[in-house]
Amino acid sequence: MSVNDKNPGFAGDTGEFPNLTEADIRGTAYVGTRPLDGGHASVAGTMPYQLATRGPAEGPIFTGPYEERLAKVISRYPDRQAALLPALHIAHEVRGYVSPEAMEEVAERLQLPPAYVRGVTTFYTMYNLQPLGKYLIQVCTNISCNLCGGEDVLHAFLEATGTEMGEVSADGLYTVIEVECLGACGFPTAVQINERYFENVKPADVPTILEQLR
Amino acid sequence: MAYPYSHPSEVRILSKYFGDPEARTLKGWEARGGYQGLRKALGMERGDVVNEVKTSGLRGRGGAGFPTGVKWSFMPKDSGKPHFLLCNADESEPGTFKDRELMRWTPHQLIEGCLIGAYAIQASHAYIYIRGEFFEPAQILARAIEEAYAAGYAGKDVIGSGVTLDITLHLGAGAYICGEETGLMNSLEGRRGEPRVKPPFPAVSGAFAKPTTINNVETLCTVPHILTNGGAWYRQWGTEKSTGTKLFCVSGHIARPGNYEMPLGFNFKEFLYDVCGGIPNDRKLKAVIPGGSSVPIMAADEIDVPMDYEGFVAAGTMLGAGSVIVMDETTDIIRQVGRMVDFYSHESCGQCTPCREGTTWASKIYRRIRAGFGTEDDLQTLLDISDNMTGKTICVLSDSCAAPIVSSIQKFRDEYLAVVERSEPVVAEIA
Repeated sequence: MSVNDKNPGFAGDTGEFPNLTEADIRGTAYVGTRPLDGGHASVAGTMPYQLATRGPAEGPIFTGPYEERLAKVISRYPDRQAALLPALHIAHEVRGYVSPEAMEEVAERLQLPPAYVRGVTTFYTMYNLQPLGKYLIQVCTNISCNLCGGEDVLHAFLEATGTEMGEVSADGLYTVIEVECLGACGFPTAVQINERYFENVKPADVPTILEQLR
Repeated sequence: MAYPYSHPSEVRILSKYFGDPEARTLKGWEARGGYQGLRKALGMERGDVVNEVKTSGLRGRGGAGFPTGVKWSFMPKDSGKPHFLLCNADESEPGTFKDRELMRWTPHQLIEGCLIGAYAIQASHAYIYIRGEFFEPAQILARAIEEAYAAGYAGKDVIGSGVTLDITLHLGAGAYICGEETGLMNSLEGRRGEPRVKPPFPAVSGAFAKPTTINNVETLCTVPHILTNGGAWYRQWGTEKSTGTKLFCVSGHIARPGNYEMPLGFNFKEFLYDVCGGIPNDRKLKAVIPGGSSVPIMAADEIDVPMDYEGFVAAGTMLGAGSVIVMDETTDIIRQVGRMVDFYSHESCGQCTPCREGTTWASKIYRRIRAGFGTEDDLQTLLDISDNMTGKTICVLSDSCAAPIVSSIQKFRDEYLAVVERSEPVVAEIA
């Protein structure tokens, strides 16, 4: 069974639902991808920001569609400070991590002290502070997944990528880390790779998943 | 396409359209009776909407179980300030995965609930705070919110009523503590997600220092059904004090894991063995956590109780978010409790000393015990730390860490003793 036939949201053994395809369940066609400028202002702050495809690696972050998106986000709150998390998401989406320079740019845009922005950025675990592999593989080892072998899946990923936890693999493709509960406990082991969930992952599936990412 | 494992004992109200991709679209949702509740609410006085929800007896589904209608009635009348409704979609309690399914299958159900809730509490803006990891549900919700705006269900002059109801989706960035309501408000405001001291309570001074109500996704998803069918209709399920239905997320060592929508008051034992198919591989049940990792563990002989707020409290635990984590006889309780303690240690925001230090100490002690260097005194130390972590901090994160520690030492003391009396250190086992 290929990874794409795996049941990404239903309970139980996927083998019992051979006719459900990934597209059926996930509704990929319906979800689609969001426009770079964020679409309607009400949802402009909610793009996936751990993407394998990134924006320009140099120059200012908030230009063109990204600037438009930030303006839309700011318009939705009573003060500019509230746009801080969404602004950091944009920086993360473009560069793949939040650098000190990115924090300064965000601070300038939102008229906040850079030290304050740094304090907030470092509070949250999803803002990566240094460049990672193209694919960030986050394996849940919290209780429900742990009961069903989450740690074995974590070790399988570490072994297959030849990395230690948090390292970038030699080819620059993978970084594997342990993550706290992903909220998919009925489908253990839950693994998040960039913006996408892989569910019901067993150690034996690991090579297939890595092959598909390549 | 039927949602797998539907059981005849279930009452599917919220989860009726799980597995039906058509229900995600505005058209599909309208064809399934969607937005009737909002139409009805907008034709009523705001106070009557609150009363209808009070009549239903609906209680908060996020964990605390506070009556929703009563919570709404705490909002000041004619305060002259803007009010805010926050939807807590920061589902991150280990064992919980109901809100994610609600959002990815029935986004309009949540949007409708948010709009009705905002109208009822005189808010003109609702924020849905969704956890950062939920990219896919966020994209589905984003699409649905755009559809709702385009169709005139949100924005200025909602379906010709003259009422303005805005809705904004806000993505978190990975912090369990942001699921605590005041932590969530701080995070929404662009701060560190550290919980605030109460009072002032959110209804007086919440998000942006304005009167605010926070409701869980499941709670708000229930509201449209109550408005459409009436509060009395909802009371036909459940018990006198725990009315209606509730999603139970079942995970761990169970034959059929997943979400089940059960009338409250259903027998827990029957639920586990009949509805969920029991323990796989012919094994016996050892322990079960009925409401997510923050509630006390139940031993196998304690599960013959009704699944409602009162039933679980009488059994010395809590319904919580309805997140049932099942552990069979092969489970190493010390390892699993230790893993939960690691989680709380990782997620403590660090404001309060008993929590910041207590969770870390407890985590270290568990690692030491598992490595074979534990002593019997460690059990008393854990209990002492737990005592210092209970009821002494701004929020209940440290209480949540203490609950599994204390209950597991009470109920599985022999297992702890067997490990601390083990003569040889087992360093290789350290995770």
